[in-house]
Amino acid sequence: MGESLQFLFRRAGWYLATMWVVYTVSFFLMHAVPGGPFDAERNLPPEVRKNVEAQFNLNDPLPVQYFDHLTRALRGDFGASIKIPDFTVNEIIGQGFPISASLGLFAMVFAVCLGTTAGVVSAIRRESFVDFSFMVAATLGIAVPNFVLASLAIILFVFQIQLLPAAGWGSLKQIILPAICLGAPYAGYISRLTRTGMLEVLGRDYIRTAFAKGLSERRVVVRHALRGALVPVVSYLGPAVAGVMTGSLVVEKIFALPGMGSHFIEAAFQRDYPLALGVVVVYTALVLLMNTMVDFSYAILDPRVKLGEL
Amino acid sequence: MHPTLRNAFPYVALVVLMSALVWAVSFGTLPPADFSFHNGDEIKTVDPSKATGQPEHRVMTSLFEGLYREWPLGYELDEEGNVLNAPEPDENGNYPLDAAPGVAESVDISEDGRVYTFHIREAAKWSDGSKFTADDFVWSWRRTLHPETASQYAYQLWYLKGAKKYTTSTVTLGGLIEVELSDRLRVGQLFPRGTIRRGKLLGIARPPEPQHAPDASDEDKAEAESEWQERSVYLVEENSKVVAFSKGESTSGWSNFKVDWLAGSARDLPSEVVNCLHVLPDFEATVGVKAPDDKTLVVTLQNRTPFFLHLTTFYPLFPMNRKCIETHGTPAWTKPENIVSNGTYNLEFRRFRDRLRLVKNPLHWSHKQVKLETVDVFGFKSETTALNMYLTGQLDWITDAPSTVIPQLMARKERDYVPTPLLIIYFYRINVTRAPCDDIHVRRALNMAIDKQLICDKVTQAGQQPARSLVPPGLPGYRSPLCEPFDPVAAREELKKSKYANLPGGIPKVEILYNTNENHRAIAEVIQQQWKNNLGIDAELKNSEWTTYLSSIHSQEYSIARAGWVPDYPDANTFIDMWVTGGENNETGWGNPDYDAFVKKAAEEPGLDRRLRWMEQAEEILMAELPIIPIYYYVSKGMVSPRVKGFFPNVQDQHPLYWMRIED
Repeated sequence: MGESLQFLFRRAGWYLATMWVVYTVSFFLMHAVPGGPFDAERNLPPEVRKNVEAQFNLNDPLPVQYFDHLTRALRGDFGASIKIPDFTVNEIIGQGFPISASLGLFAMVFAVCLGTTAGVVSAIRRESFVDFSFMVAATLGIAVPNFVLASLAIILFVFQIQLLPAAGWGSLKQIILPAICLGAPYAGYISRLTRTGMLEVLGRDYIRTAFAKGLSERRVVVRHALRGALVPVVSYLGPAVAGVMTGSLVVEKIFALPGMGSHFIEAAFQRDYPLALGVVVVYTALVLLMNTMVDFSYAILDPRVKLGEL
Repeated sequence: MHPTLRNAFPYVALVVLMSALVWAVSFGTLPPADFSFHNGDEIKTVDPSKATGQPEHRVMTSLFEGLYREWPLGYELDEEGNVLNAPEPDENGNYPLDAAPGVAESVDISEDGRVYTFHIREAAKWSDGSKFTADDFVWSWRRTLHPETASQYAYQLWYLKGAKKYTTSTVTLGGLIEVELSDRLRVGQLFPRGTIRRGKLLGIARPPEPQHAPDASDEDKAEAESEWQERSVYLVEENSKVVAFSKGESTSGWSNFKVDWLAGSARDLPSEVVNCLHVLPDFEATVGVKAPDDKTLVVTLQNRTPFFLHLTTFYPLFPMNRKCIETHGTPAWTKPENIVSNGTYNLEFRRFRDRLRLVKNPLHWSHKQVKLETVDVFGFKSETTALNMYLTGQLDWITDAPSTVIPQLMARKERDYVPTPLLIIYFYRINVTRAPCDDIHVRRALNMAIDKQLICDKVTQAGQQPARSLVPPGLPGYRSPLCEPFDPVAAREELKKSKYANLPGGIPKVEILYNTNENHRAIAEVIQQQWKNNLGIDAELKNSEWTTYLSSIHSQEYSIARAGWVPDYPDANTFIDMWVTGGENNETGWGNPDYDAFVKKAAEEPGLDRRLRWMEQAEEILMAELPIIPIYYYVSKGMVSPRVKGFFPNVQDQHPLYWMRIED
């Protein structure tokens, strides 16, 4: 366990520094954009505006606001949302994140299962009709934007066949369409990575040895080749999981899912500074966490990898 | 890596996956509501002091109830809620609304129209069963007006005498003031307040005025000013003794400050300064609201305000439960498990960005007339998704159908998309300080060169009506003066009169600013082309996202900009009074002393009919000088399932749940 812990501590230091930089840049960028959270079609009387802004310390000089917010953020408190005063930023993220995360997880499971299977089959039957059609499908999956895919899926499975509900969150039926739409491009990418990885591994000496020992093709592929072929997939999974778990704005919007994706855009548009910062920090933390997990899983997949050397 | 760790990996992954599955499905165990609707957006708050916006309005009118409430004129129910009389719509399909008794069962209005005496219903109760008293309103309005509450809609209460002074902490020498000491039970919570000391303001001691550096920005100046104000020391007569109060932390050397004394006061300085949080004018003595007994509320207004009863149906004037707020604090009191309200519905739960659920309040005085037992309010943001859910029967009412499919929706055999005119105007704001729009002839020519009918027929397509006035039709008794109709020939003639007509380089370019949106762009493109074809004026299009767009308008960095105006109360005044010289929402640089005079006359006019005539005269000036170009009047774009009765389309697009019933 020693090498794992040492590895974690070293990483943690770097991560804190990275998050501080992201936080600081976001803070000042956000405040540099014209307009404020209380701008509206109807202007507030100046006296009222003063009271309102004072409540969120928006009257203070920027550096003072920065240090105020940073000290609170370090304690894990991102303050109250400006535009949604009934909730704190922590509550908003607390409600949205699990939903985005579970949707993301389903999407990833779908993407990994479909992607690796298709990739393996394509690699084994390379340059066959199956390979060709899988790779066309994969290219389509990557190229077709998910709002187009979602609209097509809704027309087909909601209005034509009337199999699934149009939108909402709460039942397994309601998860299927968004998970597939969210996972499709990842599935396409994973299948291509798997195919390439597989083709490379299948040409290696140890695979020839395995065949020479008289193992069945199935056993060679699943037990020996797949592990090696998945290494590029795994390194791709880190950032992909982070992205998918923090929610996809488009899919969440089309299927009316109460996840976290919408806050990314809306908090910035509405100049809800605390919420936007909270979301950025969570996303950064997630990306870093996922990268660490990826490094760990290299060690799981490949016994030759030593964590201490990463 | 340790082999056991490696072997454990697939199992850990499986557990994570199972828990995600359980989590996701746990949402689904909810029994469906009787009635579900799409509210357009997530509501920001259920705190009447803090709410702003239409989606909030739809929820607040169910959760809380004001002194009066909106009711279709002539709609009569018996005690059990059976319909005795159903009103007929006007030729546009709209029903006129009236302010009908809510928490108050009646009102007496004084002859000069300034004193309203409301009689609170015996049966009025809070949702926790406690009795409703007139003092609940006094307390709630104090909360909304208090500067620390920072209510954006505090100014809706400024029609009350003295209310503005309270929000702006304006104290005057010789006036009664209330001072709150810094001894609150909970820091950062306005209620319960710290010790309140009252007395007559005898003098204000101020430190030397701050000297601004010549290059100081406005912000720095404002900062220095407020710091200077903060350090002031207030000398208050309390039990015939003078006490000094100050909000500032450091008042050292204050005995050397310059003191403004009330003429004839004793002028002795106490040795100590008492630290305090707020120095406000005394609420009871200043603000025109009193509760002489439990069931009587007397409201004194600044001026005659003929729409005041309608204002009491608007959420900034709703009551709040003092005990609830003082126990839980803000914002915790708005949580479903804590909230105490007084409307026809109670808040059962609130899932952010998903839905909130309302259940009928069995303690409400009219609960037998309320027919929908449970209601789901969906707060996601996509109109297309809402339409999909409506078409598949998941929703009974959507408030805004997507514009792109409106021609198809109009052709539906269910006839559930029926646009009716609304009191909302789409217009172009013109910066009259910029060439060439500083010339009235140019503005008039620009107006006459727009084929608004074409825009309504080909671009907006939802049944909108082309506009030739600022105030939309539909307000009883008010007849808008009109600006010139579309007439390209007359427009060219008008343009020739302008001082720019004979410039060698032609008429300077204009720029149309709009917030990023497909519809706004399509309209701007049509207008751009019409100005080019009919007048030879080049227009550039510029779009920016909402907040940037707003900030360009506030700082008047635009030449022509798209705008819209939704009234807060059904009266022409809400459209007219914004264009007075230097008005906060004017933002065109335009001003006309005659216009200001008419607006002022209307505000002071006791005769209801004559008041409308003054406003019409004001609008006539506006339509002649055109600092704005009206484009079209909005229509409602809602769709409601045919099984829903009691919907009553109206110009304010208000559809409280307590009107509605379901008949299959």
